[in-house]
Amino acid sequence: MVSTRQNVILLTVDTLRKDALGCYGNKGELAPFVDSLEDKCIKFTKAQSIGPYTQASFPGILTSSYYLEYGREKKLSSKRTLISEVLKKAGITTAGFHSNPYLSDFFGWNRGWDIFYDSMDIDVTPEVPYVKGDGINKKVGEWLSLYTKGKEYRPFFLWLHYMDVHEPYVPERKYIDMVDASVSISQDEMFNLFKSVVLKRDVSDKGTVRLLKKLYDAHVREVDDYIKEFFRILEKLNLLKDSVIIVSSDHGDEFNEHGGLSHDGKMHSELIDVPLLIYDYGRAKGEVCHTLVSNIDLSPTIVHLFGLELVKDFEGHSLFPLGDYPKKGCFGEAIDKVGQKEKDTDKPVYFYRENDLKIIYRESENIWEMYNLKEDRKEVNNIIDTSSMADDMKEKVRPRIRKMG
Amino acid sequence: MSQEVEKRCGELVGKSKEVVRETFEKFKPSEMAVTWTGGKDSTTNLWIVRQVCLEDNIDLPPVITIDEGDAFTEITDFLIRISKKWNVDLEWLCNFDVLKCCQSHLGSTVKVKDLNERNQAELKRIGFEEASFTFEAESYAGNHLMKTVVLNKFIEENNIKTLFMALRRDEQTARKSDEYFTKKEGGYLTPEHTRVSPILHFTERDIWDNIKLHNIPYCPLYEIGYRSLGARSTSNPGVVGVPAWEQDIEHIPERAGRRQDKEKAMDRLRKLGYM
Repeated sequence: MVSTRQNVILLTVDTLRKDALGCYGNKGELAPFVDSLEDKCIKFTKAQSIGPYTQASFPGILTSSYYLEYGREKKLSSKRTLISEVLKKAGITTAGFHSNPYLSDFFGWNRGWDIFYDSMDIDVTPEVPYVKGDGINKKVGEWLSLYTKGKEYRPFFLWLHYMDVHEPYVPERKYIDMVDASVSISQDEMFNLFKSVVLKRDVSDKGTVRLLKKLYDAHVREVDDYIKEFFRILEKLNLLKDSVIIVSSDHGDEFNEHGGLSHDGKMHSELIDVPLLIYDYGRAKGEVCHTLVSNIDLSPTIVHLFGLELVKDFEGHSLFPLGDYPKKGCFGEAIDKVGQKEKDTDKPVYFYRENDLKIIYRESENIWEMYNLKEDRKEVNNIIDTSSMADDMKEKVRPRIRKMG
Repeated sequence: MSQEVEKRCGELVGKSKEVVRETFEKFKPSEMAVTWTGGKDSTTNLWIVRQVCLEDNIDLPPVITIDEGDAFTEITDFLIRISKKWNVDLEWLCNFDVLKCCQSHLGSTVKVKDLNERNQAELKRIGFEEASFTFEAESYAGNHLMKTVVLNKFIEENNIKTLFMALRRDEQTARKSDEYFTKKEGGYLTPEHTRVSPILHFTERDIWDNIKLHNIPYCPLYEIGYRSLGARSTSNPGVVGVPAWEQDIEHIPERAGRRQDKEKAMDRLRKLGYM
């Protein structure tokens, strides 16, 4: 799967849970278009994010390095190498389009892009505090049609990121209807739920949490339409057959699986499991890969797809060729915070997964947890005191804890 | 100045005048206003609108400026001086209620409960739920109350349908595809109106070329190194002592001296629930 003359597109969806997609077992038909791609994709069933929220995850995706590698940085460290910098140096055109403030110009993510659109200059409303997928598509479409008209065609790397699944969960009526037409709630009521329930992480009422999940599902249904529209743009410009498209998310979202809402500093599967589909028109035929992989591997994979040499700063491994991918565990780290404001006194939290075993260490309370994901998919049965593997697993995380300490 | 530059300025101004004339045809002049900050862009913009009015014998629409409570005296002086010179009846807008609550002191605390009903409703609308905020330019609550609210209130009370503004396409990449006419949808506390940007196609270099060509007045702060002027406490010179037009305009971002990028990102984070 080396494609030196091809384009590579990385399409990420903020906050998209793996289990929201039908191709990962969801029965709600929330993403019919993404599901329909399955036949032309390599589907990774055990993709992990290196962190449970954007700042903890995206260093993995775009710089193949761990979140706390350079300390508690507010802005992206200049020591990190962005995939855009690597590719631009190699003569590949790089373009990024998104609407996530944590990935904006201000936070230092604009390095190495020929085109970088972070939308921060657009007025947004409290109910929809980002540029929606159709707005991102419009920008991307304009750029692509101009670019493909150019005389000398050079391969490009395009990254686009949709925010539409992220809270506040205030979806349009038509998407709520597609998920559950019996839900009757006004925009103001949805926004009030965001303020009084989501922001306060109040899970006391199970019915409200269920309702929030439905609104989240409606957002997923909506973003599926934008992904579909984006593929139409590629088709129209005749780019589908010349592009490898990687579809993933930065992290999931919690609906009281472990006593919380949204995406705080926790390492459970509802936040850490991410979808990962690699679409390669005409080549991949509905392959499924059960290898444990991480989003820290995405940048090395992109480098490989462009036929470029390994980047020594990158900590991940290329997913291709699949046979050469090393058998390894997956690691992640974040700051153990509840509620969204991260304080300097908050301590790190780490996870490490190997095969079906996952260990989590929360420094603030010096607590270890371990789960056997084969028998306990929901991670409710802590086996740290009973498993004979506990000490081995602890040893795998300790070097990292010492390094950070 | 080379003939080439003169020719280019002629074309740029010609295009702007077309946009202004189209506006006067499409909308009622009695429902228009021109915004003016005293900066180089909005002064150029006003100069062009005024030229069209003089040429076509149309009354200049009301001209407004917003006082955020943190203005450079050099800008205030400039506005007073040029409005006299150009015979402009300049309307000064300000959210006095906020100023009253902080005794006009930057850095002092404004208690939300002391604000009037409208200001409290405005803070609620943008999801600001703290009991107080520090009065400073470009802060989340302050920026909204001192700029956005003042403008919306003016539009609403004067039944304004069209606003001439001085956006430039090159100013930020995010603005690359802006149109000359953008309709702002109305909603709760936000009146519907159309924003017209006649100088959208000017670059920073074009602005200076045109200012020099036509002897358009500019604020003296540009002479000592400022390239972009906002509030006093959040604007910094590009290269101190080097006039704006002699700086490396093509390579160093114009707004590098301003704190707005940070505030915009922070505003978004707050709305997403991260603060």
